[in-house]
Amino acid sequence: MEVWEKVYLKGTDFLESTHGKVGCVICHGGNSQAEEKELAHQGVVADPSEESCTPCHRDVAELHENSLHATLSGFKTKLEARGANLSEGSALTTALDNHCQQCHTSCGQCHVSRPDEMGGGLVSGHVFRKTPSMQYNCTACHGARVGDEYLGNNEGVPADVHWQKAGMTCAKCHGQELHGTGAVVSHRYANAASPKCEDCHQDVWTETADNPQHRQHLGELDCYVCHAVAYKNCYDCHVGIDDKGLPYFRSEPSEIGFKIGLNPIRSSQRPYKYVVLRHIPVCADTFDYYGSDLLPDFETVSTWKYATPHNIQRHTPQNESCDSCHGNKSLFLTGDDLDPAEREANRGVIVIQAPPSK
Amino acid sequence: MKRLVFAILGLVLLSPVMAAGCAAPPQPPPGEEVSSCVICHTDKDLLKQTASAPKEEKSEATSGEG
Repeated sequence: MEVWEKVYLKGTDFLESTHGKVGCVICHGGNSQAEEKELAHQGVVADPSEESCTPCHRDVAELHENSLHATLSGFKTKLEARGANLSEGSALTTALDNHCQQCHTSCGQCHVSRPDEMGGGLVSGHVFRKTPSMQYNCTACHGARVGDEYLGNNEGVPADVHWQKAGMTCAKCHGQELHGTGAVVSHRYANAASPKCEDCHQDVWTETADNPQHRQHLGELDCYVCHAVAYKNCYDCHVGIDDKGLPYFRSEPSEIGFKIGLNPIRSSQRPYKYVVLRHIPVCADTFDYYGSDLLPDFETVSTWKYATPHNIQRHTPQNESCDSCHGNKSLFLTGDDLDPAEREANRGVIVIQAPPSK
Repeated sequence: MKRLVFAILGLVLLSPVMAAGCAAPPQPPPGEEVSSCVICHTDKDLLKQTASAPKEEKSEATSGEG
């Protein structure tokens, strides 16, 4: 997107809308009568979301305050579980501010413009979109894993059937969840409004389901175990500040793979014994630039985490036949797959004995 | 009695507005309708000449996928 395009009020749709009739300075500040660019832009707030949206959209804005998009509490939950000190002024709080806070999003960065982290820019000439653009908003941030999976951008791996055949955009499944329910949640799978396959596929996952495999594995397997295909796994991320004072991260090349393991977040909502696991980029010394041993309890949380790959297929290599999965040790996460430094952290999710052949 | 009637009438008339919270959008300040903001930000050629990106540096030390 060219620089000028980012601030171009294309067409008249916006100017004729309710928001357009309000006038610019009410939300953005500045001086609308000035003729000099610099003078006109004095005091301008490019993204006035917090102050400007709340007075009229208080109901949604208040929900958003506790949503994961605002709080990023998923990061904090897992870091604290690994022993991180996130008190004010701590080394890790500085690291979070430098490397993670940019993932926070505002009303405007979903409904008006592209996220700042992606360079910003009006999506539809400042028209407020109730449903964010999948291309310019959702996958602008959630692109490397979920976006690439869903759209079929990983070489040799098909796009998700919900996209390929039905053209469903993110908001078809992810609705209320994105603004949150108002409750503070510790991570995304703890959100009561998170979508579930059963929300739409109500009859396939019951004791009377037509498919005998569904009846056979009821409650034991997450849907993704049979219906997801290979996805991206990330390794060894390290963060720091370069010579110019700019934050950076370095991670090892990602790998495409598929591993079934034991459910690390088993609950009444997600009771499955077997789930799909994705390797995440954290390692014991990820934050060593900021101090040594900042994750002292690193081994208490698995680095292969519960995953919901967005590349669902009806037919997958592992559901071709019983023996495609049973007895197929390569599908399961075992001790042999683990980095020795992460062996203890993943003790609870590895499969000791893969289900035997039928 | 007349005051009471006016007070009740006032409350009845105001209550929908109060209930709607922000039903009436805020009004632009005088002169805003013909603001230089709109004149410039709808002029593609002018924007091409004048728009400048804020200095946004990203570290060259970054590698891998975020």
